[in-house]
Amino acid sequence: MINGERSNCGQLNLYDVGRDVTVKGWVDALRDHGEVLFIHLRDRSGIIQVVFSPEFSPAKICERATLLRNEFCITVTGRVAKRSEGTENPHIETGQIEIMVTDLLILSRSETLPFPISEKAMVVGASVGSVESVNEDLRLQYRYLDLRRPSMQENFIKRHRIIKSIRDYLDEQGFIEAETPILTKSTPEGARDYLVPSRVYPQHFYALPQSPQLFKQLLMVSGFERYYQLARCFRDEDLRPNRQPEFTQLDIEASFIDEEYIYELVEELTVRMFKIGNIMLSRPFPRMTYWEAINSTGSDRPDLRFGLRFVEATDLFKNTTYGIFKQILYRGGCIKGINIKGQSDKLSKNVLQNEYAKQIVPGFGAKGMTWMRVIDDELESNIVQFFSEDEQKGIVKRFEAEHGDVIIMIADPSHEVVTTVLGLLRLHIAERLGLIPGDTYCPVWITDFPLFEATEEGIISNHHPFTAPDRTDFDPGDNENLLTLLSRSYDLVINGEELGGGSIRINNKDLQRRIFQALGLSDSEVEEKFGFFINAFNYGVPPHGGLALGMDRVIAMILGTSSIREVITFPKNRSAHCPLTQAPSPVSREQLMELGLLDLAGETVIPGGEKERDMVDHLSWVSRIGINEGERQHIVDAMKETARLANIINERVRDEEPIFSVTTVTNRVRKEPQAVRNPLAEKGEIFRNAPAVKGEFFKVASILE
Amino acid sequence: MNKEIFSYIDSKPSMVNKTGSLHGKSISIQPNMSVRGWPTEAGSRALERFAALEDATVVENLRTAGVTIKGSTHMSELGFGLIGDTAAQAVATGEVDVALVTDSMGEARIAASSKNLFGFKPSFGIISRYGLIGLIPSMECYGIVANTPLEITIVLEAIAGTDDRDYSMPEEVIPDFGRLEDIKTLGTCGVVAECVDMLEPSQSKAFSAALSRLDENGMAIQEVSLKDFDLFRVAHNVIGSVEASSSCGKYDSVRYGHRAQSARNWNEMYIKSRAESFGLLVKTYLFQGAYYQFEDYGTFENACRIRAQLVREMEALYETIDVLILPTRRKNDTIYDTHSIDDVYDVFDLTLPANMTGQPAIHIPGSFFGRETDPGLQFMAPRLGDMRLLSVADHLMKVREGDI
Repeated sequence: MINGERSNCGQLNLYDVGRDVTVKGWVDALRDHGEVLFIHLRDRSGIIQVVFSPEFSPAKICERATLLRNEFCITVTGRVAKRSEGTENPHIETGQIEIMVTDLLILSRSETLPFPISEKAMVVGASVGSVESVNEDLRLQYRYLDLRRPSMQENFIKRHRIIKSIRDYLDEQGFIEAETPILTKSTPEGARDYLVPSRVYPQHFYALPQSPQLFKQLLMVSGFERYYQLARCFRDEDLRPNRQPEFTQLDIEASFIDEEYIYELVEELTVRMFKIGNIMLSRPFPRMTYWEAINSTGSDRPDLRFGLRFVEATDLFKNTTYGIFKQILYRGGCIKGINIKGQSDKLSKNVLQNEYAKQIVPGFGAKGMTWMRVIDDELESNIVQFFSEDEQKGIVKRFEAEHGDVIIMIADPSHEVVTTVLGLLRLHIAERLGLIPGDTYCPVWITDFPLFEATEEGIISNHHPFTAPDRTDFDPGDNENLLTLLSRSYDLVINGEELGGGSIRINNKDLQRRIFQALGLSDSEVEEKFGFFINAFNYGVPPHGGLALGMDRVIAMILGTSSIREVITFPKNRSAHCPLTQAPSPVSREQLMELGLLDLAGETVIPGGEKERDMVDHLSWVSRIGINEGERQHIVDAMKETARLANIINERVRDEEPIFSVTTVTNRVRKEPQAVRNPLAEKGEIFRNAPAVKGEFFKVASILE
Repeated sequence: MNKEIFSYIDSKPSMVNKTGSLHGKSISIQPNMSVRGWPTEAGSRALERFAALEDATVVENLRTAGVTIKGSTHMSELGFGLIGDTAAQAVATGEVDVALVTDSMGEARIAASSKNLFGFKPSFGIISRYGLIGLIPSMECYGIVANTPLEITIVLEAIAGTDDRDYSMPEEVIPDFGRLEDIKTLGTCGVVAECVDMLEPSQSKAFSAALSRLDENGMAIQEVSLKDFDLFRVAHNVIGSVEASSSCGKYDSVRYGHRAQSARNWNEMYIKSRAESFGLLVKTYLFQGAYYQFEDYGTFENACRIRAQLVREMEALYETIDVLILPTRRKNDTIYDTHSIDDVYDVFDLTLPANMTGQPAIHIPGSFFGRETDPGLQFMAPRLGDMRLLSVADHLMKVREGDI
């Protein structure tokens, strides 16, 4: 009865009218007109309307059709017919035709659905249930149903196209796709690892790769010259809305190349990928150095779809009498601003002062914001009277201010505060005033990042320790100087989102060793962490470099989806949990036992020594007193004494005794009615004993945190 | 010779007040007592290259009294114990008439005992500590080492008095010092049995002999008991280390003191600088204090309760006696040679009760009785009974010299 010929629902058209066809798929929607039953039948290719009517369907089939419900999986046979005038459906591709059913087979029934799947109305103008309102965890729990939705299928078909275009392009360019291990070694760099216990080596662990960085560089040592991989990477990072514990990264590495090669390769690749989403990017992509980006947009991933670039204004106020600016400049600060062209209608005094200056800007972390509205040729502001005529003229000229403009400025002793806060304001204002054009894509390469970053723990690599510096004549012990080094790295940013980045790597053993020194890693630490990798540097390492693109992000941007979860088949939710499989989950005692993980939390701490050592380290930290070589044992011994003394005190104390104090409470209060500035400070004498002074300030280590 | 005794000698002593009570006398101070422009390192790298910016109140008062401040003697790190301390040596060799010594556990008395001198610890709170760089604020004061009680008396008169700049001084009227009483009767002297029990047999014998001499000279000896005497040492260690840990917090290597090379960030700057700033003995003490401060604060509070109790019990003793008498020390050979916290407390365990209770105490030289194993005699009086003690000491000295 039903032959092997199967037509795809979405591919039938007017040319098929009169043909007998068989289609298979799911019941997308039903419309019951008494004797006549209309059904939208859906397969991957699309939707077609099938009609059951006593006119052409056998009575048995009509009867069977009354059983149909949404998402039943069925086979239907019938003749393709043109719809009668006025009944066409513009919502579906096949809206001009329908199938007059002569046979129906129910392949599989469906329970009532947790949420609607159908996205196509059966008649003109009718609305369909939106999945937007459905709880995302419910969608993820029934992800297999969620993925039946045509829009979701479209996402994954496009994803496939994009991935295929990558493979095709890189193949053309002579790249070899190679896989690297998923079970690998834990490295203490970067984010937290996901660990996998080893059964064969109890209490030893593999780690899932955070990226194939070391392996891809080793493949360069191996002479692969051009390698790529669509690599799954894993990072146990803090949860953020648009982050997944595992993600796909296009990993590229090539030998005997420089930055220009990477730009050329990746720009062409990006153009091809975006084209699949009907987005045309023009080449070459502009480039900005890290400091250019920071100084003009306040971000190292600038959104260039709109202007609102920063204007440097520090020098305009070098002789100012306006107290706040004067103080800030005296402390070495800076002043930058933005001219919001022609927006004074939308940015009233009230909005600028009460919303921005008083609430939004302090929330971003600056003390305040200076604003001025340009009315005719005059500046209008709550503080404009504090600026001299020259200063006002200077502002107008520098900001190229015209009637209707609004100038905002941030001043702060910290350059970082000024750029960060002004950068956030730039985005906030652009969003608020609708200055961000839709359907515009502005790629940019950000280059010349600082090689190192200062943190509370010391100097760390901004990228990773294998990134080549811009120059090699540095002293690994000179922190101030190290912080001025730039790296040969690059980030690809589109519309304010970092899609990927990479660098030219170090291929010189001595240079690599000095970088590790700068990071404060001892030879033994390096050996322990990267020994296998450094060893490879002994055997002829080609100059090489590469890049990694976060594919989930790239695809989400090309497809314009609301989150990267829309382009991942089975994602974790925002809490890194999978509502479908309920992973992560507890495991059986037997599994733990087999892995030797049962007594890990037990009392395996060696009594005595170790614990006391920890106590000493803790006290060393809280009281900020380091322990020199040979001192530890004395201190450990003294700790035993403290415990003994505490026992005596606590055994013999009488609780009713008051706590002794040599002074009365009133005496601890300063007698002067108000604080007085110490004359020694006023005369600058307090600096005479300082180990290091810079101007009128005590000089300290450059990094707070 | 001078350099062995003095860490700094004032090459051009400032104008002295020729009408002052101390005119013609010379005195040494320690490098933790501030004189504007003088190196003031307090024996510690934590104050490396520090020169005081102001005069301490005591220094101002000494200048007013017309004394010549000759220089600073060497001192132990931050005045903790007597390692390297040369104050008593300065007096014994005649370099100066009087030496000031930071006294937080009995340093003046013990130092004096090593050179046959008088060592005096005044009542707590009668001398301004403004300008004194200390370690254990609630225990310490200026101690005075001299050849005679009279010299101690006139120095005390010069330096005692209220000072608005010292916020720790109790609000009370400080009695007039300066006039030694003519002792008619030595009164009743209490001997704490628990202290005598701590002595070696030979020391005990010498101490008894000294008591007999006092008895012969008209002092009524009465045995008293202070069952918790052993707690003085324990509580001092707990409270002292916590106060030290707290007061050493200011040594951050930013405003003054030693800065370690090449710190990567602020925390490392603190940790490395402070690692290098403190010697092992003080550092160990600071770790002990940090333990109670951060890990076991209840014990610190309980130690303060015990201190209140000991103060109360000591005061109760004076209801039946006029002065207390204790041996000054048990150890002779380790006074200047202490390498652990225990070593330090072994040296001072008989003198630190006065620092704990804030009472005055004086060491009367052991040679008074001419015995080498002599543990020395230490008198204590109720708080503000300083003149009574000095008068007794003066009287006993006159007895020794045959004047009486």
